[in-house]
Amino acid sequence: MPLRLMDLALPLPVVNRRTTALEAARRIAGDRLSALVVAGDDGTPAFVVPAVDVLGLLIPLYLREDTRLAGVLDESAAEELWGQADRRTIGELLDSEDVRVYDILRVDPDATLVEVATLMAAAHTSIALVEAEHVHRGHGTHATPAGDRETDEPRAVEEVEPHFITLPTVLDAALTARGGGRTA
Amino acid sequence: MTIQVVAGLVVFLGAYVLIATEKLPRATVALTGGALMVLLGATDEAGIFFSEEAGIDWHVIFLLLGMMMIVGILRQSGAFEYLAIWAAKRARGRPFVVMAMLIVITAMLSAALDNVTTVLLVAPVTLLIADRLGVPPVPFLITQVMASNIGGAATLIGDPPNIIVASRANLTFLDFLEHLTPLVIGLMIVFIGLAWLLFGRRLHHDAERAAKVMALNEREAIKDTRLLITSVAVIALVLAGFALQGVTHLDPAVVALLGAGLLALLTRLEARKVVADVEWETLLFFAGLFVMVGGLVNLGVIDQLGKAATDAVGTNYAGAGVALLVGSALVSGIIDNIPYVATMAPLVADLVHAGGAAAEPLWWALTMGADLGGNATAVGASANVVVLGIARRYGHPISFWEFTKYGLLVTGVTVALSVPYLLIRYF
Repeated sequence: MPLRLMDLALPLPVVNRRTTALEAARRIAGDRLSALVVAGDDGTPAFVVPAVDVLGLLIPLYLREDTRLAGVLDESAAEELWGQADRRTIGELLDSEDVRVYDILRVDPDATLVEVATLMAAAHTSIALVEAEHVHRGHGTHATPAGDRETDEPRAVEEVEPHFITLPTVLDAALTARGGGRTA
Repeated sequence: MTIQVVAGLVVFLGAYVLIATEKLPRATVALTGGALMVLLGATDEAGIFFSEEAGIDWHVIFLLLGMMMIVGILRQSGAFEYLAIWAAKRARGRPFVVMAMLIVITAMLSAALDNVTTVLLVAPVTLLIADRLGVPPVPFLITQVMASNIGGAATLIGDPPNIIVASRANLTFLDFLEHLTPLVIGLMIVFIGLAWLLFGRRLHHDAERAAKVMALNEREAIKDTRLLITSVAVIALVLAGFALQGVTHLDPAVVALLGAGLLALLTRLEARKVVADVEWETLLFFAGLFVMVGGLVNLGVIDQLGKAATDAVGTNYAGAGVALLVGSALVSGIIDNIPYVATMAPLVADLVHAGGAAAEPLWWALTMGADLGGNATAVGASANVVVLGIARRYGHPISFWEFTKYGLLVTGVTVALSVPYLLIRYF
């Protein structure tokens, strides 16, 4: 039976400009994400930010530019550092000249695994949005951009929930198809 | 004036304008200017590669290359971070004392290293200390870059103009220590006073914040003790080699290259890491600049200017010295002091040649003016531009005028103090 991309796609958390670094970090840690989907002004998925760049929001620039300094900080300094996470927002990342923000990669639900892998490699992104033609319908709690707190509640009206395909899923499927088995 | 001379002057002045306005990368401008000089017939391959008077000054290029390699290795040791945090803790977290300590450290580092390298090294740790102290980092960054520009004047290797002057005038490392270091020490003391007036009065001690500085563990900055010890030992050897030039007759460029080679050998770092901090663009900029100035020398322009200057100066070398010092400070406040000194060096050489020993202090006047003038405006020295860029990236932007209002005051005071030093010591 041919592999259907939609069977591999899954909903992912979508954040927005106002999402704090703390909240973004929770989403990344909770879902073990390598990147974060960010909604545009219209609330639909628009960008992908590598998780490591979100980490950059938590670590001051002087530490990132001189990594030896990280070792000189004591425990209380480290606590202060993490404590500042709720004052930084994803918007700062989107506006930063130092961070590469990727436009969301859109793939057709009929695309083959090789096509998706090729597009991901070419676009240097680990998440792709599966175009919404045949996606499932759901409550939208994952799709609701984090930070839009007033809309975090499950919605009464059904709406199209964006589904994504991630790099580990693509690799896993490719290895399985090859007969090499899964990595874990 | 022949068409060739006019064309040579147009190329030179055009390149100068492009370098000053930073419309194009300076290395590109200098190399293109040099290429045009070749096409004009103002210089040729023999002139470019082998002429002592009108070719690329390999002493300067290789001294810079050697020092860049040494610093590139040393910075991986964490020594600079250790030193800055150690100083902040010695100051017991009192903001102005921390500022003064960092000023002194920056000036001393700058006497041994290139100014841009120095400010790049101290900026992150300064931001950390300011963050811990809960004080704005801008006063620290501004005072450090100014300290770097002043401190760089102290030695032969502290500032590229000094390297150019030393090469053209056959001055040694000890000559610089004897003639410029005492002045720089005096200027640094005055500068710390100025830093108090401009910034220190507004910095307040907070015991809770000071405790956060005291909690920093500077020893953790040093990740490789062997690398640190080896680097410091080799730098001590290199400095000894500079100081013993009169005995060993080894050119500073050769000493620096030997030091860099020895350090690479002892630390067994990959070649990629050894040359990681070499600023190839800067070295190419110097090469292009020397070819352009060499073109003017070959065309007789520098000779003509030298004769005119000699006639104008007569035997009034004191007046010429003051004019050169103040004039160099003014020009260096507006344009990069490297092309300025590269252009002026053959001119001053003509004056010194005509005037003999009485005119030799003109070299010091040129060096003092060019080095100190860099503080005048935000674009007066490469290090200033770099610090403004750092401050902006760290979210504490410093405007052109904010820097310049302090810069003009500091330059005015330091140049005003250098004039009596020049007159009393030499005339």
